[in-house]
Amino acid sequence: MLVLLAALPTLFWDGAADTAPALRQAGITQIQVPASRLAEWKGVTEITAEAADLQGALKLLAPTVNYRMNEASATNTPWLVHNGWRFIRRPSGRYYYEPVGEQAALAAAEAFCYGIGATIKPDPAGLNPLAAMLAFLRTLPESTLPPVADIGYIDDGSATSGEVMNLMVRGNLLFRLVTAPDRSLKVNVKLGGKEYSLEDAKNPGTVAHLVRANLGDDKRSLRVYGSDVVVARLTASNGKARLHLLNYAGANRKVDGLRVRVLGEYSKHELRIAGVTGVELQDYNVEGGATEFTLPELRTYAVIDLSR
Amino acid sequence: MPGPYPGQVVRVHSENSIDSASARVNREIVKQMLASGMKALTGDARAEDAWARFISPKDVVGIKVNCSGAPQIRSSPEVVAGIAENLIAIGVPAKQIYVYERFDGQLRSVGYEKFLPAGIELYAVETSRRSILNYDPKTYVETSFFGEEDTRSNVVRLVSETLTKIVNVPNLKEHQASGVTGCLKNIAYGNYSNVARSHRSEKTHTRTFIGTLAAAEPVRSRVVLNIMDGLRGVWHAGPFSEMEKFRFFPKQLMFGTDPVAMDAKLIEVIEAKRKAEGAVSIFDRSMSHVGKDNSNPNTNHFIREPGHVEYAGTLGLGVFDSAKIKLKVIEL
Repeated sequence: MLVLLAALPTLFWDGAADTAPALRQAGITQIQVPASRLAEWKGVTEITAEAADLQGALKLLAPTVNYRMNEASATNTPWLVHNGWRFIRRPSGRYYYEPVGEQAALAAAEAFCYGIGATIKPDPAGLNPLAAMLAFLRTLPESTLPPVADIGYIDDGSATSGEVMNLMVRGNLLFRLVTAPDRSLKVNVKLGGKEYSLEDAKNPGTVAHLVRANLGDDKRSLRVYGSDVVVARLTASNGKARLHLLNYAGANRKVDGLRVRVLGEYSKHELRIAGVTGVELQDYNVEGGATEFTLPELRTYAVIDLSR
Repeated sequence: MPGPYPGQVVRVHSENSIDSASARVNREIVKQMLASGMKALTGDARAEDAWARFISPKDVVGIKVNCSGAPQIRSSPEVVAGIAENLIAIGVPAKQIYVYERFDGQLRSVGYEKFLPAGIELYAVETSRRSILNYDPKTYVETSFFGEEDTRSNVVRLVSETLTKIVNVPNLKEHQASGVTGCLKNIAYGNYSNVARSHRSEKTHTRTFIGTLAAAEPVRSRVVLNIMDGLRGVWHAGPFSEMEKFRFFPKQLMFGTDPVAMDAKLIEVIEAKRKAEGAVSIFDRSMSHVGKDNSNPNTNHFIREPGHVEYAGTLGLGVFDSAKIKLKVIEL
């Protein structure tokens, strides 16, 4: 089971040591550099450098939203580019991003909330957003709560199976990988059986819908209302929970108001939003075995710690 | 709803209410139309008495306008201002009157503030598109149409928490998805969030969703009066009005407390106009008439669902049977 540890993403910087002032100004104190540059960075004060080789690491797509307004499609729902399902499939993998601009901040938050210490190689415009996000991540109290799952998913390793996982993450259907059906979970999914046939799996979206229908929205540990570009991750144990909220549209298209429903009654909460201060959860309501609240503003990333 | 006058509709027509060439509204005639319509609906000799049947000075009143076709087609500021003046005349303080609409840009494009008495608040629910902050998180209709993740449509917070009465002021328009957009749709889709999800593909869920929303409390109880602004109209490609060739000038206002009966009359107006223009009926369900280019009056983006009006009747919101609807027509 993947446990969230404070695995901070790291900036990969292939600039010469004389670019150190720009990093210091951004607040960067730790970097990864090509092995060929390690020696020159070793003499730089206030910045710790270690060698990293991106070869052998899996390059991830930069997280974003593709609205595809001018393309006919079966759905109006914007397409999210996210990597959560890859992290769930291979949590011990080595990953790196080459994001553009503000995407660097989202990439760092995405990797962090899955406990992945990914490497991020931003473009010049992404340095400050990434540095700000890394600074925010360092302020978060460490958490070792395990991920919440409603669904047990038997991954056969195929591309189709990966796409089903992709759509479940995107639809905030919480699952974990199992090798055999787990009766402690609400629903178990194996492609190729009667319930989730390979014929259905030709359209992975159909399988994701079936899984959702079989689970039932009322039984979902997490619901998100008010945006179709937010992906959430929930960890919980023993009366405590941590909710991660990622806005894939990024800080430039902030979400004004997000309603969240978490199964379980949590009377206390602590909210931390990257890049935003002085904001409180609104319309907080605990009843009927669930906790609901409204996050008034989400730029890129927010973390909400819940407790009884 | 359907209020004290089920199955009753008053239509006041005035040839001089709006100039077809300039689209300029005659404010004085609109005032006369408002007074005449309210008196005819209630049977009262004085307009003040007619208004006082619905609204008291203690009420906090929302005037629900429709600006989805703004700036070309919207609840006319002359009509809205006339309603507000009548409310003030019966003792409602201006600060207890809200003119409201869901989308800020549409509302602001009309320029109501130039017409309204001082002190009335213009209120937009979504000051940024899709913001849920001004909707009531505890009051919603929940349903799934196409597997969308957000299955809730929440009522406008102003409606549930502040207003005690609503005067509904829709326009006279055809609608590509629902067939017409009159009283019911302005009540339903105008007072809830996340409603466009009902019409994302050719076959929509507008037939049942509109009535379901309108029948839910507290919206149902708050709406006490409907005044349909038919000075201008749209007979195709609504609710927007991007193509001038589909606008027309019915030069009328309709009054009633029964939104179903009023929308039944709206259907008749739109059907008559479309017939005169050689366009297919809004009840046509042929996929051969569904297409992207709706500059042709026989092509539409959706299969229309004007049956939403009859469906709303089955929910008890009013009378749809034309034989049971009593229409009073007044010519000024």
